[in-house]
Amino acid sequence: MNENENDALGYNRRDFLKGGSVATLMTMLGGVELFAQTNAAPAEAKKAPAVKIKVAVIGLGAWGREIINTLMRLPQAQDPIDVEIVAICDTYPASLKRTASAAPGAVQTADYKTILDNKDIKAVIIATPTYLHKEVALAAIKAGKHVYCEAPLAGSIEDAREIALAAKAAKNLVFQAGLQMRSDKQRLFLLPFIRTGALGKTVLARAQWHKKTSWRSASPSPEREKAINWRLSKETSLGLIGEIGSYQIDQAGWFMKALPKAVTGFGSVMFWKDDDRDVPDTVQAVLEFPHGVQMICDYTLANSFDGEYEMLYGSDAAIMMRENKAWMFKEVDAPLLDWEVYADKVKFYSDTGIALVAGKSGKSDTAKDKSKPEQPDPFSDTPLSFALNNFLRNADEFSAKAETFKTSYGADDVDGLMDFLAKVLRRPAAGYLEGFQAVVTAVKANEAILGSKRIELKPEWYELS
Amino acid sequence: MKIRTLIAGTIALSLLATASFPAAGQMITLAARSGSKMRIEGTSNIHDWQVESPIIGGMMEVGPNFPLEPGQAATPGKVEAKAEVFIQVRMLKSIEKDGKPYMDSMDAVMWEHMRETENKKIVYRLSELTLKEAAKAKDAPYLFEAKGDLAVAGVTNKITMTVSVLPLGEKKLKITGTTSLKMTDFKIEPPSPKLAMGLIKTGDDVKLIFEWRLSPPRVPAAAAK
Repeated sequence: MNENENDALGYNRRDFLKGGSVATLMTMLGGVELFAQTNAAPAEAKKAPAVKIKVAVIGLGAWGREIINTLMRLPQAQDPIDVEIVAICDTYPASLKRTASAAPGAVQTADYKTILDNKDIKAVIIATPTYLHKEVALAAIKAGKHVYCEAPLAGSIEDAREIALAAKAAKNLVFQAGLQMRSDKQRLFLLPFIRTGALGKTVLARAQWHKKTSWRSASPSPEREKAINWRLSKETSLGLIGEIGSYQIDQAGWFMKALPKAVTGFGSVMFWKDDDRDVPDTVQAVLEFPHGVQMICDYTLANSFDGEYEMLYGSDAAIMMRENKAWMFKEVDAPLLDWEVYADKVKFYSDTGIALVAGKSGKSDTAKDKSKPEQPDPFSDTPLSFALNNFLRNADEFSAKAETFKTSYGADDVDGLMDFLAKVLRRPAAGYLEGFQAVVTAVKANEAILGSKRIELKPEWYELS
Repeated sequence: MKIRTLIAGTIALSLLATASFPAAGQMITLAARSGSKMRIEGTSNIHDWQVESPIIGGMMEVGPNFPLEPGQAATPGKVEAKAEVFIQVRMLKSIEKDGKPYMDSMDAVMWEHMRETENKKIVYRLSELTLKEAAKAKDAPYLFEAKGDLAVAGVTNKITMTVSVLPLGEKKLKITGTTSLKMTDFKIEPPSPKLAMGLIKTGDDVKLIFEWRLSPPRVPAAAAK
């Protein structure tokens, strides 16, 4: 990626340096622990979170429960928000029972339509199995709810398109796809760093997710088997590339501001052969991005070594991202500047990783003893926490502004309201288009994996209308 | 059912009575429209700050001598006009100079200092409007001196400011103005939030800049038939 390409991506090094903090500058100069400009909240303001919103969670599998746990922690988040989980929904009574204690006071229901009928509930979070998203998402949008729909949005391009078009048409509502990395402060911090060409020419991307797990949940009866273990059937699941890979592929494309042009895949059931799954437990895919950059994806349920991470390789440096941490590995011939001396470093076998940790305060800005900069704690909030936080804030902002608009100018000025809402600045999050495009890639990558073939991804496939 | 209708009718009449102004000869009513916004600019020991509301609500009633159309002849002097303007305090958000949101927590500090829980709105009531300078061209504004009561955080002060009225045609108006205020005049203590970089101390003086757009109320579809 050359300097001009970087300019085309909407950032340039000079602007970034000009707008950045001292810590940002330090990093641009060659690598010191980075502290994101988080505008640390004044202690005085922590007393009363500015936002209070009523939500419901539909789908209470493992991820649905993770969402509820994360929602319950949002009042204590670094950027606190007051959430009330008014209702939880699952068609399986045991899931409702298991989740009840995590969401005290929430109404339990097996019918999501009762949630949509409740006018107090402004926003719903959909965490049902992927192939069941469409019905709930369309009904929720129709009912006037702000929607957070887990990624992948759907198991087919057609379903994802229907959801995305409905979301696009509902201009008075917030629709967020669960591609949570796009809201993560660590990654938002890295975005301009990468796009300004700090890595030199981008040559390669890589992502992996290694875990020793069957991906199978114990089923109390044969009838429940299909519903609980929907991930293991090709009929209902996009497999590892859809359920895991779509997040990482979307992230790489976001950093490079590009969509993949082709995908080649391989996969097979290598280890979990004793059950009747037909979804591969080990897959590889190569995504071809513009400018000859290829992304290698590697997933297995048979080995946990080296876990989960994403990498971008450039001619000057590589960046490794693991959950909410990141490190830079510089080449010896890359520009070398003083600040690296003070950076936190981690030894990775024979390489040294320079920590790129988005901190929770701007301590380094005022560190008087530059020979020993203070090291703020890294973000403790997860990408999911940031994604839900941004969704709820965007939803609250939309609802409040729409309500005030109607009170001030009358409810009859519908066009004026839509124009007004279109200009409301939203906190960073994946929208319906990104969600749709991630499904296009995931469906085609899964097709390539199952057929051990290469598929060209036509640009028009990514167009929504 | 009859009782319910009676109550609804009474409520509707009461609302009308409070929303409109006393009947006057040939008064024309105008309602706030989208495109309005108010900005407050202030200072602090670290940098200047600004907050904005993208919505200004309210109504205005003007007499026949008020210049409603571009280039309309008007004689300097008092004009018949009444207005009630309001801004929801929660709509005020801190922004960067380029308009991007600044900090949610600063918004919370601001709302708290403006005693938002008890005083949801900033309200301005116009009591006297004097035309100082008629428009010098068809696309030029009329300059007025506006006297009225401004209620912020539960404290009401009389303010006088120059406002510029630009008729846009079809009785649509763009009213702009600027006035300087002190927070302490409204018993608002200038916020001094503690940040990691130290204590921020905001200055007492603030500048209020507004653009208020008005047009005649729309005729409901049913009534238009």
